[in-house]
Amino acid sequence: MSLSLVTLFLLSIMVFLGGQVLPGNVGRAILGPFADQRAVDALNHTLGVDRPLLTQYATWIWNFIRGDMGTSYIFRSPVAPFVIDALGNSMKLAAVAFVLVVPIGILGGVVAALNLNRPLDRIISLGGLSVTVLPEFVTGIILILIFGVWLRWLPISAAWPKNAGFFTQLYYLILPSLPLFLVLFGYIARMARSGMIEALDSDYTRTAVLKGLPWRTVIWRHVLRNALLPTITVIATQTGYLIGGLVVIETLFRYQGIGSLIFTAARGKDFPMLESGILTIGIVYAVATLIADFLYSVLNPRIRLGSDQ
Amino acid sequence: MIKNYRLLDLIRRQRTPLENHLIDGLVDGRVSRREFIRHGSLLGLSLPLLGGITTAAGLGGMPSLARAQGAPGATIRVGSSVPAATIDPVTIADAGGLLIMQQVAEFLCVDGPDLVLKPALAESWKPNDNGTVWTFKLRKGVKFHSGGEMKADDVVASIDRLADPANSSNALSVFTGILQKGATKKVDDYTVEFHLDAPNGNFPYMVSSDNYNAVIIPASYKGDYEKSFDGTGPFKIEKYTAKVGASFVRNEDYWGEKALPERTEFTFFADMQPQILALQGGQIDIINQMPVLAGVALLNDPSVDIISLKSVAHQQLHLRCDSDPFKDPRVRRAIALSLDRDKLVAGLMKGRASAGNDSPFAPAYPSTDTSVPQRKQDIAQAKQLMEAAGAGKGFKVTLTTERYLEIPEYAQLIQNWVKEIGIELELNILDQGAYYGDAVFGKSNWLDSVMGITDYGHRGVPNVYLAAPLKSDGTWNAAHFKNKDYDTLATSYIAALDLEAQKATAGKIQNLLLEETPVIFGYFYDYLTATAKGVAGVQPTAMSQLFLEKASKA
Amino acid sequence: MSAVQTTSPPQDDTRRRSPMAEVFFSLMRSRTFLVGLFIVLFWVACALFGEHFAPYDPLADDIINALAPPSSEHWFGTDQIGRDVFSRVIVGSRDILTVAPLATLLATVAGTALGLLTGYFRGIVDDVVSRILEAFMAIPVVIVALLAIVALGTSKATVIVVIGLSFAPIIARTVRSAVLAERELDYVAAAQLRHESAFHTMFVEILPNVIPPILVETTVRLGYAIFAVATLSFMGFGIQPPSPDWGLSISSNYGMIGGGFWWTVLFDALAIASLVIGVNLVADGVHGALND
Repeated sequence: MSLSLVTLFLLSIMVFLGGQVLPGNVGRAILGPFADQRAVDALNHTLGVDRPLLTQYATWIWNFIRGDMGTSYIFRSPVAPFVIDALGNSMKLAAVAFVLVVPIGILGGVVAALNLNRPLDRIISLGGLSVTVLPEFVTGIILILIFGVWLRWLPISAAWPKNAGFFTQLYYLILPSLPLFLVLFGYIARMARSGMIEALDSDYTRTAVLKGLPWRTVIWRHVLRNALLPTITVIATQTGYLIGGLVVIETLFRYQGIGSLIFTAARGKDFPMLESGILTIGIVYAVATLIADFLYSVLNPRIRLGSDQ
Repeated sequence: MIKNYRLLDLIRRQRTPLENHLIDGLVDGRVSRREFIRHGSLLGLSLPLLGGITTAAGLGGMPSLARAQGAPGATIRVGSSVPAATIDPVTIADAGGLLIMQQVAEFLCVDGPDLVLKPALAESWKPNDNGTVWTFKLRKGVKFHSGGEMKADDVVASIDRLADPANSSNALSVFTGILQKGATKKVDDYTVEFHLDAPNGNFPYMVSSDNYNAVIIPASYKGDYEKSFDGTGPFKIEKYTAKVGASFVRNEDYWGEKALPERTEFTFFADMQPQILALQGGQIDIINQMPVLAGVALLNDPSVDIISLKSVAHQQLHLRCDSDPFKDPRVRRAIALSLDRDKLVAGLMKGRASAGNDSPFAPAYPSTDTSVPQRKQDIAQAKQLMEAAGAGKGFKVTLTTERYLEIPEYAQLIQNWVKEIGIELELNILDQGAYYGDAVFGKSNWLDSVMGITDYGHRGVPNVYLAAPLKSDGTWNAAHFKNKDYDTLATSYIAALDLEAQKATAGKIQNLLLEETPVIFGYFYDYLTATAKGVAGVQPTAMSQLFLEKASKA
Repeated sequence: MSAVQTTSPPQDDTRRRSPMAEVFFSLMRSRTFLVGLFIVLFWVACALFGEHFAPYDPLADDIINALAPPSSEHWFGTDQIGRDVFSRVIVGSRDILTVAPLATLLATVAGTALGLLTGYFRGIVDDVVSRILEAFMAIPVVIVALLAIVALGTSKATVIVVIGLSFAPIIARTVRSAVLAERELDYVAAAQLRHESAFHTMFVEILPNVIPPILVETTVRLGYAIFAVATLSFMGFGIQPPSPDWGLSISSNYGMIGGGFWWTVLFDALAIASLVIGVNLVADGVHGALND
């Protein structure tokens, strides 16, 4: 818990420092290179960019804590709606990826375990892990080519038409969620696979089968319990990494999520947007880790029973 | 070709000496009909009158302005770039933003596709004898969307707001040295006078759609434009959502012919690709601005029409005249001679451009002296020049530029061409923001780099290009070019009211710049707009504005 | 002279005697390692000698023939200014194979130093530094890189420093654990009794014994570094045109795939994929061999 706060604090300082060292200045970025210097100076003064660093930082942090994310230098309107909107979009994308990868990953692991060391197992395990290490934009490009350009099954940009319904949005989100899916699939499948192998071997299973419980129930109950824990761990530890992947994927598919928001904000030197965006990501990360910790302790009987580390 | 001398005489009697000189030029064949119409409209002659003169001079009338009208009531959907900042007439500086503003607000006059100035909110205009005072007569009965009639007070307030340094307007770069705050004066409710700092033969362009900030809005405007989107235009705002899109509905109280479309919808795209897909997929009808390279897939698509406007948008390759290795003009000329301009036009721009001749005088400008020979690639001569300048062994230099449109590809082509004359070019391609920096000398890669490429958008007259990037005191003078002769010539061009005087000066400038070559103008590219087949009546401008009042769908 | 039985060597010397030869042979037997090594060496060879067996000059433009699909003249087609894609893919490994290893080297050096310091001194130094490092590790590399590069400008040096410093904490953590274990052993106590300086104890006594985990970590980090460099050049940082670098080529050309110009990106993507997988196979092999 305290670690997350330290991380956030560190993050905010880093971003603040990074923002102040940026080349060029905000007034110039907004008005464009051909505007008169007097105009730029006037604008900078209006935006308060010429106040001392510490003042700017303190003001900003205090406001953020109170829920005011500041005003975008570029859009001259509050940052909060942009960030929240973008965050919502990213959540949608992540949700699609998770909803796909958790069941399919676990299923893959189970299938692999049931076919231990035979070709199917090899394909799933090795294939899964190989794909995990590939950069998201590489898998993204290949997927775009296969499904978007050659087969034409899926749209290649995530910009769905206005007023699109739930299913249309889903249709547009499948392709962008696949690279995320592929990053996680290998890990989850591997966890599920070892959980399954353990389950198949364990006394509990043997006893249950001897007692007459159907295979399916045994596998289901045991595997789920064994596979969920590591899955949660995987997702929790990979969250930071996934967020990075999100930036790349949103850029590749031109998706208006928080990743591309901070990327554009960095390029446009929209300092409040950039800071708020990154801090929001940090908070989401901290919350995700907390939830994962909580779920883990709930589901893991050993911890619940209070055994030592 | 029968000239009706009697009619010409009658017309001449009522014209000023300046206008008569222009008419003489037409009659004697020194001025082409096209140049006459364009310069005549600049001087404030009405189009019907111009048509009458050309007919009397035996050159045929104006092209018929009536065209087959499309069916009214369509909903026109447009794809455009994302407005980069708040929409505000004072500060707007980007293509996406000015497009949205131009849908609802109007200008005193409009710079049309053939560079002819057409009256809009002003009915007519006239210079005084030496071009220091321009008088504009305003149209009567024009209503703002918010109610209230447009009068001189509104014009004075709108222009003053832009000329006031305290308002941080982008338009200051146009008005500096030409029009100050307070120099716009109301004569009566429908007449405005502009008192200029110096004679200026092209002033009306500075308050035309070329100066995209110069829309006329109520004098009572206090800021926060996005709340009202007030203006006089043929469309009214329905809804605007930042970063997403905007929609407009027909203005039933418009002063002119009511718009054909019932509504228009704009969707903002961060990139070209999705726009192209949306056009092909039928989700939008028009792509506002389509760079050649990104839109190459559409150029041969039979379901798409490409509207191509001759524009003078270009990229300036500057070579710093005050720093090694470019101090010697022979080296600069050598580089200019190593470029294969034909390949640039045919290959890089797929034919959608015209070759540049190392001066702002593009072929499209009427005042360009076309007798000046076009520079072509000549490696042998380039090598000789390098030898003569003592640079025969070649040298290394860094080309700094921005990642925008086709500039990175242009830079790589240049890199390969100059290799042949012994120059090893290292590329440093930056984000636009990083390239422009603070946009002042000493704090900007653009203005400080020894060699760089900068993008310049379209302008109806070459005035801005002649001043800021090339004059000794110019604020955009990346080449650090300080030449007294040039300064004098440029000033006299800008002051000249007479087309032939402009042409004569232009010729001198063109030759001087060919000799000195501080900046290489490789090509002037066309402005492309893509529409789905069946969409008609769309009128884009090379400033990335879009006039949709005559648009219709099949 | 009754040494029929060999006395087992004192425990703290075991690791010093790990024969490198044994590791080497075990590596040679590992199929994963060999496949990975082959791929990596192939690309290294291309990076070093690519121009000699590339059919065209990777920089030579032919703008009239731009965007030509694969044919017998251009096996992989041509790009936006008419350059031969096949030649560019071959030579494209050069930048990534320079930047990523240098970044990994920086990470290893910095991380090892930090790990030694925190593991040896423990106490306050360890607490504070470790906290900071952990907090730093929680931030995704891409975001750190984005900030640093936008602030400091884009150049290969910046990319090396950013990636190097981002990966250092991870290596530091591994080294720290190893050092914590080593610390308890007799030879360290012996060194302290001899009044050896802390510096000497850390770098001369302990360091050689923690090399195996460092090695494993380094090879794994190399894979991630390649990943990161490719991603950053795709986002537009670090490597400049006209370099045929794969990430840069993809970023310049992917806008066109909607128009059907797939050859400008597919082969670069496959090249990156093969290199990343190759390095990971090597890392796996090393991991396996050193843990046996």
